[in-house]
This record gives sequence, C-alpha cells and structure tokens, in this order.
Amino acid sequence: MASSDSQPNDATSVYGLMKKRVRGHQGMIIGSLIVLSVLLIALLAPLIAPHDPYQQDLLKRLIPPVWDSRGSWEHILGTDHLGRDYLSRLIYGARISLLIGIGAALISGIIGTIMGVMAGYFGGRVDMIVTFMITVRLSMPVVLVALAVVAIVGGSLQVVITVLGLLLWDRFAVVMRSSTLQIRSMDYVAAARAVGCSTSRVLVTEVMPNVVNNLIVIATIEIAHAIILEAALSFLGLGVQPPLPSWGLMVSEGKDMMLFEAWLITIPGVALFLLVLAINLMGDGVRDITAPENRN
Amino acid sequence: MKRQFLLTITSMALAAGISGVAHAGKSDDTLNVAIDRELESVDNYYNTAREGIVISRMVWDALLYRDPATNEYLPNLATSYKWVDSTTLEFDLRKGVTFHNGEKFDADDVVYTLDYVSDPNNGAKPARNVNWWASTEKLGDYKVRLNLKKEFPAALEFLSGPIVMYPNEYYAEVGPEGMALKPVGTGPYAVTSVEPGKRYKFKKYDGYHSSSPKGQANIGNVVIRTIAESNTQLAELFSGGIDWIWKVKPDQAERIEAQGQFTVKNSSTMRIGYLNFDAMGRHSKNPMNDVRVRRAIAHAIDREGIVNALVKGESMVVHSLCFPSQFGCTQDVPKYDYNPEKAKQLLAEAGYVDGFEIPFLAYRNRDYAEAMINNLNAVGIKTNFEYLKYAAFRDKVQDGGSPFNFGTWGSYSINDVSAITSHFQSGGKDDYSKDAEVIKQLGIGDSSVDPTVRQDAYKAALSRISGEVFMFPLWSYNTWYAFSKEVDFNPTPDEIPRFFTAKWL
Repeated sequence: MASSDSQPNDATSVYGLMKKRVRGHQGMIIGSLIVLSVLLIALLAPLIAPHDPYQQDLLKRLIPPVWDSRGSWEHILGTDHLGRDYLSRLIYGARISLLIGIGAALISGIIGTIMGVMAGYFGGRVDMIVTFMITVRLSMPVVLVALAVVAIVGGSLQVVITVLGLLLWDRFAVVMRSSTLQIRSMDYVAAARAVGCSTSRVLVTEVMPNVVNNLIVIATIEIAHAIILEAALSFLGLGVQPPLPSWGLMVSEGKDMMLFEAWLITIPGVALFLLVLAINLMGDGVRDITAPENRN
Repeated sequence: MKRQFLLTITSMALAAGISGVAHAGKSDDTLNVAIDRELESVDNYYNTAREGIVISRMVWDALLYRDPATNEYLPNLATSYKWVDSTTLEFDLRKGVTFHNGEKFDADDVVYTLDYVSDPNNGAKPARNVNWWASTEKLGDYKVRLNLKKEFPAALEFLSGPIVMYPNEYYAEVGPEGMALKPVGTGPYAVTSVEPGKRYKFKKYDGYHSSSPKGQANIGNVVIRTIAESNTQLAELFSGGIDWIWKVKPDQAERIEAQGQFTVKNSSTMRIGYLNFDAMGRHSKNPMNDVRVRRAIAHAIDREGIVNALVKGESMVVHSLCFPSQFGCTQDVPKYDYNPEKAKQLLAEAGYVDGFEIPFLAYRNRDYAEAMINNLNAVGIKTNFEYLKYAAFRDKVQDGGSPFNFGTWGSYSINDVSAITSHFQSGGKDDYSKDAEVIKQLGIGDSSVDPTVRQDAYKAALSRISGEVFMFPLWSYNTWYAFSKEVDFNPTPDEIPRFFTAKWL
C-alpha cells in the first residue's frame, strides 16, 4: 500500500506515490511501451519502411512472409495483391490509425467536454438540453450512421475523422457532466465565486483541472473506439480511400484469400488488436494512477 | 502439407457450423449450387438479378432459343417465325407442349403473357425488356402476331431469352405472388419448393418437349442455395456440402485448381470495363476536355499488364466500346498501345508538363482501379480516388458529377451493340461527349433491320468514339467456376449457367 498515510498532502510524496503506482502497474507499462513504439514507428515511417508503401509490382503479387518457405528477406511480411510491400504498408498504416484515433478523439473530446461541463456547471435548462442531446446521440447506431454518411459523401481521411469525431462525443459529455456536477458544489468553487471570479475563470482554473484525469481516461477509450470503427469502415470499403494504407483496408483486401493465405488478414489484424489493447491498458493505468482514493 | 491440413480443418469447421447437413451430389442425383444473393422474386418478370435469369432458363421457355455456341436463333416454343414487315413478326407455335401443372401451351398463353407484361400498370421489370411491342394478335390456336412500336433489331434476342411464356389460366389465378412461390413453366426443370431468399429446389421435368433445342435435363435434382459470403461458399465446397459455385475470385481459382480436387473453369463474359471522360465539359472545364489528354491516358494505362496479373482467365484487352461477339462490334478502330513516354509527350503538348490532379470515381474492382492509378501517377496524373457503392456511383455519374470514372457494363447479356454503345453514347444521362456524329450513326444502327446498314453505322460510331477517346474501353471480364470433379459443366459467354446441360461424370 502507498505511503501517503504517513506523509499526507506533500507534493513530492504525491509524485512519489504516482511513480510507485506506475511502477506497480504492469498493464500500464506494457500498454505505454506498445503505444510509444507504434507512435515512433508512425513518426519515423519514411525512415524505417523498407519499401515505398505505394509502389506496385504486379509481377510480385502475394509473396508470403519470410517464415513461409516461399518467402524472402526482400519482403519480410510479404506483398499484397498489387505487389506492394506488406511491412511498409503496415508501418504507414500505423500513421492512419493513430491519426484517425487521435483526430476523432480530439474533435469529440472538445464537443463532449464543452457540452458536459456546461451542463454540469449551469444545470437547469442548459443541462436539460444537453441531456436531451446526449439521449438523441445515444439512440443513434454509430456504425450505421457513419456508414450512411460516408456512403453519401464519399470516404476520405478527412471525412472519416470528422464523422467519427461528430459521433463519439457522448461518453465525454456524460462523464464531464457528472464530474462537473460533483465539483460544482465543492467549497473551493464556492470560494472562487465568492471572491468574484468570473464564470469562465472558475471553469478554467477550478473545474477543468479537477476533471482532466477523467478526460484522459475517456480519451483513451475513444481513441481505441475510433481506430476500431475506422477499421470497420475501411473493411466495408467506406473508410479511407486507397492507395492510402489502413489496417482495416488491408484486412478487407486480404479477406478473399483468407482460406489460402491467412497471413494477409492475420498480420494487420494482430497489429490492430495490439494497438487497441495497448491504448486500453494505458487508459486503465491512467485511471488507476490518478484515482484520488488509495487504489492499488 | 501443413497448409493443406489447416485449410481443410478451417473449411470443415466453417461448413459444419453453417450447413448442418452435408449432401452428397452424384449419389443422390442432386446438384447443390450456391449463389451469393437473395432473389427479389423467382417470377421472371419481377426479377433483375442474374441468378433469377439462370432459374428462369431452367423453369421456362421462350419462343426461340439462342444457341450459346453459334449465337443462332433456334425454334423452341415457336416452330418458325417470319418478319411480315420491319415492325411485324409472326410465329407458328409448337403443338403438344404442356406446362408443369398439366396446362396445354397454345396461342392464348403467348398473347396473355405478352399483353400482361407489356402493360405498364403491371410493372414488369426491367421495363426495357417488355416495352418495345405495341400489341399482339391471336391468328389461330397456334399462330400469333407481334406488332412492334417501331423497328427494333434486337427483337429476336429478347424473344429468345428474357421473354418467357407463362400459363395464362394459372397466372390469371395466382398472379406474380403466386408464381414467385410456386412457379410453373414449360422448361426442363420444374420447381418443387421455394424458400424465398434461401433455397430453391428443382426436379427434372419428365414431360419436357423432346424437340427443344435446350435438350432434356440430365441431372435429376438441382438445389440452389443462397450463401452470401464467398469464403463460406468455398468452405462448403471443400467439405462437400456444395457441388458448384461461381464468381470465384481469380486468385482463389488458381489455388483451388492447384489443389486438384475440383474442376475449375473460366469463361469470358459480355461485361467490359471502360474509362469515361468528361469530353464535352459537362462536369466542368477540366483537362479531360482536351482530346490530347484523353489520348495520353489511353497510352498510359497498361491494359495488357493488368489483364495478365489481375483480371486473368479468358479476359482480353478490347479496343472498341463493345464485347467482340456482339452484333455490330468491330475491333477495326483506332488503337492505343501502352506507351508512357508518348503519354507524357501528349500531356506536354496539351500544356500539362507537370501533370494535373483530377477526381477519379469507381464502384467495383478496386484493385484494377488502384493499378490504373499507379499507371496514371507514372505519367504525372494525380487522382483523388473515390470508391462508391454502385447506386451512388451511377447517380453521381448520371447527374454530371464526374469528370473521370472507371465503370463496367454487362449489356444484360444482349448480344448486340445497341445494348452498350447506344446506351452510353446516344446523348443520354451517361453520355459525357454528346457528339452529334456518334449520336447520328448510332441512331441509324439502332433503327434499321438491314444487317449491313447496321454494321456500317456502328463501325462509324465506334471508330469515332475510339478516335476521339470519348470513352476508353479496357478489357473484357470473365467468370470463374469451381465444381466437383463428378460434374460435367460448360460455362457460356453470356454468363447464364445452363444446369440442364450439365451431366454427372
């Protein structure tokens, strides 16, 4: 158990406690390491990808990965149905997945946080309207709406990020609203109001800092959610458009050969699985570490 | 070995989960067929799906029958036909033919069927199949006359395929709904059960008329099942639940063939792929308005390479906007070889030394589209690729919303140029050039019954389309079939599998 009992409310000890909690949280460490490496891979894609991910060679189609007897070191993870290097596409695909995950979570985070904090802080009619909007949003099937919109407008990276961003704000709003409701009645908020702070100042300096840990946890969940949704949309042919490499698209393109060349869907499938798992582990970790009660 | 084992295990597991019961084919004289879609209706006149056409050929007969090998029109329910003048056709009907329910076939059935389906109030579809005659007359118990609205050269083609004959008394009683659940025809197979969208069972019709050019069915029973997912179809084939599948992907077909446990066949189809350009500026002022740019693109696309690596099978590069077997089609038109250097030179002449960027639309064969995008990139043309569902693609193109797109057209298996070239280039919604000369020549071809006049007119139109590259024909398509080694089946180019000609080996 933590040592906070003996040294309460000391800044260094809070930091120490956090450090200790992080060290003791294996899930968080593993998750963060994976996310960090995917992030690095995405950022350094042009440096580490062995081939141009867009370069086709129709004479070298469907070469299996190196561990197969027909494989070669030239294409470590083989080539796809258009003769493009699978490893390079996987590396560049990480960029798309992270971009969509973070982009969509950012848009939905901004929308959801503003709505949730306003509802929680002001209450009354504002709360009623926001709650109604959350209910409306929750009653919409996300995948179907996204599919319909993308089918009409046409899929592209920007469209997918925007559509997912506009659809995934509900959890942010719900959590922010309830957190703000609790904090609104705290003494320090009343004190800030009493000394004459403006509403915006109270929101920014008193409310926000105290809800931000919840925000991070929700953000990780939504990043993972958006990545999975993008993969689903791309699998259905309505996500990012080729020749952009996306892991969902790679699974979709490999589907026809599933019974003959299982690696075509296994490789991007495992990549997706690992990234989403890692983000979720990291989110769980953040929640546990920043939890105000003495959780281990 | 390990791969083979895994494959078998996976497919068996999948099949066991899905089918429950596996049927043996030859031992119980039942051919089990899988199709990938649910039919709207088994009633021939309320269906547009190809699988419905396949069933229609089994259950019903038309007045004539086009021999898929020779493309000759042979007598079927009619013993002979005569053009009285260019808009009047007379038929002598066959005597002694009975429907599956015992009803006798005669002139009343023909007149009733043709009147019923051509009445717009009855909503038979597709409308283009049934809207070209004005009236029918019964000239005797076994003689009818058909009065056309205007000259219609494809009349025999329609009367030998989609226009099948219904029993008048039965149809008057049950209507399209009844026919869809309990179809009755004169064809080589009678329907024994219909589970809409799921399963259709057929039994050889022993009373089938002996003089039919279709011949007597050899296999006693056929069961057609809907299995939407292609991997599931494959798994069922491997485990013996299904004897026959089609529309197998080229890469899959190669692997199945390599395993050696099934017969794999390929047949060319009437479908061809094309690029459509906004030559007249219907969408906007854009590079495609310039013939030099269109010619550059024609030289930039490696059609041969794409056919060899991706399309495969019996597909071939086509040079004019039609399928070679179609009446009026000729390959004697301006041709464009794969020559990226020439493409760059033409682009430079048109003022696009550094290339340009253009939206590019497609709705099927994303891999072919991507290969073409790669070819275009190589000469400096950047594309903003948009892959849409067919309905969205068609609407966008027909509303003038696309300067450049990749489409395909199957001509409804009609072996006549009017079903493709005239469809796209006669000034209609799909026409992005609306060239007066092309429209004029197609008009002459579409309205004459003189074969020479038609051929000359179509050749003039096709030559101009290729010369000006209003549309750029790419390649013909093909269909892969995979079936049990116990089955003898031969595919035909019209993409209508004829199970009544299949045999057990």
